[in-house]
Amino acid sequence: MENAWLIPLFPLVSFVILLLIGKQLKERSAYVGILATFVSLVFSIVVLFQRFFEPTYSAKFNWLTIGDLHITAGFEVNQLNALMLFIVSLVSFLVHTYSKGYMHGDERFSVFYVYLGLFTFAMLGLVISPNLLQTYIFWELVGLGSFLLIGFYFYKEEAKAAAKKAFIMTRIGDVGLFIGMILLFWQTKSFEYSEIFKAVNAGQVSGTMITLTAILIFVGAVGKSGQFPLHSWLPDAMEGPTPVSALIHAATMVAAGVYLVAALFPLFLASKTALLTIAIIGAFTAIFAASIGLVQTDIKRVLAYSTVSQLGYMMFALGSAGYVAGVFHLMTHAFFKALLFLAAGSVIHAVGGNQDIEKMGGLWKKLKLTGPLFLIGTLAISGVPLLSGFFSKDEILAAAWEGGHPILFLLALIAAFFTAFYMFRLFFLVFTGEFRGKDEKHVHESPGSMTFPMIVLGVLAIVGGYVNTPWFGSYLGDWLVQGNAKLGSGHAEGPVWIQLAATLFSLGGSFFAWLIYGKRSVSRDWLSGKGGILHTILLNKYYIDEFYQMTIVAISKGISYLFRFIDVFLVEGLVKLVTSIIQGLGKLGAKLQSGQVQTYGAVAFLGLAVLVVIFALTGGYLR
Amino acid sequence: MNLHSILSILVFSPLAGIVVLAFVPKQAEKICKLVGVLFTLPALFLSLAIYFHYLAGKNLADFSVTHSWIQFRGFNVQEPVFSVAYELGINGFQLLLVVLTAVVATLSAIGAVRFVKKEWKGYFMLFLLLETGMLGVFTAENLILFFIFFEVTLIPTFFLIGKWGYFEKEKAAFSFLLYNGFGSAILLIVIMILFAKTGTTNIEMLRKIVADPSDPISGSLKLGLLISLLIAFGVKLPIFPLHSWMLRVHVQAPPSVVMIHSGILLKIGAYGLIRFGMGIFPEQFKMLATLIAVLGVMNLLCGAFLAFIQTDFKMVLAYSSISHMGIVLMGMAAMNQTGVQGAIFQVISHGLISALLFFIVGVLYERTDTSFIENLGGLAKGMPLAAGFLLAAGMASLGLPGMSGFVSEFMAFMGLFKTLPWLAAVGTIGIIMTAAYVLRAVLGMTFGQAHREFTGVFDLKGVEFIPVLVLVLLIVLIGVFPSVLSSPLHSALETILVGLGG
Repeated sequence: MENAWLIPLFPLVSFVILLLIGKQLKERSAYVGILATFVSLVFSIVVLFQRFFEPTYSAKFNWLTIGDLHITAGFEVNQLNALMLFIVSLVSFLVHTYSKGYMHGDERFSVFYVYLGLFTFAMLGLVISPNLLQTYIFWELVGLGSFLLIGFYFYKEEAKAAAKKAFIMTRIGDVGLFIGMILLFWQTKSFEYSEIFKAVNAGQVSGTMITLTAILIFVGAVGKSGQFPLHSWLPDAMEGPTPVSALIHAATMVAAGVYLVAALFPLFLASKTALLTIAIIGAFTAIFAASIGLVQTDIKRVLAYSTVSQLGYMMFALGSAGYVAGVFHLMTHAFFKALLFLAAGSVIHAVGGNQDIEKMGGLWKKLKLTGPLFLIGTLAISGVPLLSGFFSKDEILAAAWEGGHPILFLLALIAAFFTAFYMFRLFFLVFTGEFRGKDEKHVHESPGSMTFPMIVLGVLAIVGGYVNTPWFGSYLGDWLVQGNAKLGSGHAEGPVWIQLAATLFSLGGSFFAWLIYGKRSVSRDWLSGKGGILHTILLNKYYIDEFYQMTIVAISKGISYLFRFIDVFLVEGLVKLVTSIIQGLGKLGAKLQSGQVQTYGAVAFLGLAVLVVIFALTGGYLR
Repeated sequence: MNLHSILSILVFSPLAGIVVLAFVPKQAEKICKLVGVLFTLPALFLSLAIYFHYLAGKNLADFSVTHSWIQFRGFNVQEPVFSVAYELGINGFQLLLVVLTAVVATLSAIGAVRFVKKEWKGYFMLFLLLETGMLGVFTAENLILFFIFFEVTLIPTFFLIGKWGYFEKEKAAFSFLLYNGFGSAILLIVIMILFAKTGTTNIEMLRKIVADPSDPISGSLKLGLLISLLIAFGVKLPIFPLHSWMLRVHVQAPPSVVMIHSGILLKIGAYGLIRFGMGIFPEQFKMLATLIAVLGVMNLLCGAFLAFIQTDFKMVLAYSSISHMGIVLMGMAAMNQTGVQGAIFQVISHGLISALLFFIVGVLYERTDTSFIENLGGLAKGMPLAAGFLLAAGMASLGLPGMSGFVSEFMAFMGLFKTLPWLAAVGTIGIIMTAAYVLRAVLGMTFGQAHREFTGVFDLKGVEFIPVLVLVLLIVLIGVFPSVLSSPLHSALETILVGLGG
């Protein structure tokens, strides 16, 4: 574990190498990236196993000295970090492998691997940071990686806009984190997580301050994890290549917000208000995004809204004090959502770049591997029993019930219904029925470099949940909270009917989707016809983007023009005034020296006359 | 070599280049350029030598040099003698600025090799004179000498703008001279009052005299003097609303001159405020701290919002400079070690970043004859390297961690959050707006579809790689290992902050 700091460095080395000689390596760049992430993965697995038996390891050194303040940098391997290292390096390795096939033939193939290396480095650095400042640094760097990859097809206007939007919207959140971090520092005199928790537990920080900083830090998580109201960048981020969506915008970076809340969980636990805020935002986002996902027609956008919704689920779990539930779902979600995205990429690859599900259909016969794998992902995310998503979702619902938010609990159940519905809608529209696109002949299964990662993830999406089940024991949960009783118990004890209800809701959603899109016994516009307005609103994502355009964007523009008015008219006007006064004085002086003797004589005579008058009035010499 | 003469050699070495250039025929383009670049090198090597000398644990005081220079007194023999000595010295803060100056000067000279298209002899003679002035400003140990060097920077800059600039170069040059002349005049009055009241202009002596409870200057006069300094250096920095001259300079001056202007000359304002304002009048500076913080936030926000709607990339950068100088003011106004260190970091960091940005602007303008954002869309296709470096520079500018801008911004904000949290919180809007305007401009130029065919556009090549690579590496170096700046600053900051009592 002493060498865990090496894990992020392998992708960094790959980044540097490919930056320098990627052009020459061309498509061989893939091997450099795959090798680097593979080594990271091996190290991560070793570290994870070590962490099962050994205590937390951390190390630090002095990074920056400000007078007497010593700001340190370092790394820490605790349970959460070890688990995250494994998840991130695994998905990154698989995506590196997958991209070799997916990006084949792209002009900027090596650039893609450069960016991937940078992102993986930053993401791995993020999850082993022992202090807030370092977390923030990597937090922004993963944002850079995401920005670069969203804008990978830089010549597309949509990609440009999406990249810009992603960066700015997450930055709005980051500023919250930035302020929270600094305020917390001045309260506790440290960025170290351990020192912060010590100070909070010792009651050195006032309750209001804890709530304020916790909520500010949560704002950062809201931005990164695409929670309402900073969610709308994430669906747009689908402009990036699909492997990127799997890696960054499903499995790892967007989960960083959840990770941050989990990493700072003792701070959040100290404030009821902050926890409640998280729970409400999480639950609302879960159902809000799921409802949008019901009607979207772009395969990646449906998945994107599903990601937003699932992240809301995780936040909701954490907000209900379900530490284990949140982290557990983060893990299973990473597996099945990465799987779904990679499978979606495989579908898009197969049909020649089209992403509109209305132009797909009947692909089950053609894509012998992708189809079943997509189905596994769909079953897992819908929470169908025996797959990973079932266990983690169950854990969340139990935690929510224990946390005592009955209304939010209900919202989460409905969201589960929605999830099952839109996922099966997607599945049926893509894989069953007749092919509705052009060029059916060219539809082909993807190469091995693409199917292999999907198979690995498919296996994990099935078995990944068994590390923490109510039936066989909550190994993961017990391990996660080991040595830290504050984080809660390893498993949330919920009544049995919760499991049944969750199963019922998800099966109900699937069944409903099957009726409409699979069996077609119910007409497709049965719903959209009935609730015409509702359908339009959902299709337009509740007009959130339009709302921001009309308010925030317009206001900033307005302020800018106001400042320009000040700048151009007031400041420049003042300057003009000063210069014109000086010019006027100068002109006056110049006029006096006209060179006309008559004028000079007249002025002299006038002066003399004035003097004489004064002399006469004062009656003699001036005294 | 005698350590005492090193600073003098350092400061005046560029002048040797002027002498050599005087014997070079006007038409000898290559030789003029070669001499111009070569004679920036001694200062670069010497300043780096001093830096490493310092890191090796040697004392910077060994480098200070004093010679008696001018002495005069009134008719009455009892009157004290007024003396102005030739004294150069260096502390950690000054050392960093000297290194920055030397680095940017060399890179700017390399830039000039590409961007200056006429009368190379005159250009490089003025340029080298300017470098001596800047190096002198940062090493002068008394106010008179400082003032002389300060004036020496004005005149060459005036001609460099007026002769080698773009379409409205004369107007820009005059506006530069008028504003800065106004600032100088106020500065001169302050110096004369201090001189007459205390009999010295040595900065260390002044600090001691003013700190002494029995000092001959009344409190209100001190406040008046500080406000005057704030205006004098506020023109230079510039502080909103004294900024309109620098917009013209940024747009009209040749890129290699703007590299110097934005990279170094603006920093004289920050240097003066920290070393003289805060250093000599700490008590009064404390009284004005809130005002200065408000001015800082104003600068930050006004600059950022105005940069958001500019159509010319040069204007974006000009307003961005104003915005970034706001962070310097905010850090200063925090009046604690964190904030002041952040302000100084920002000075160095912005020096490097703006030099990099303007170098790239020069490259783009040379190829495309435009710096308007909409005319440049889609450049990443034709010039991937230039676009990549532009993006890197933009990221540095918006304060991406791992680059110098973040460390500076972070410390300045952290310092201000300790003393004036609400104001600092308002300032954070600037962080968002910075991201917005930088991305709008940079993506507008490089991403998207190319709006027109750029004929004869070629990417970065040859000698152009030196400035971009050196600057990017330095920016990343500071961002990753900020101790390269913070360790020299340590003792210099202690001295300043002793006066602040914290």
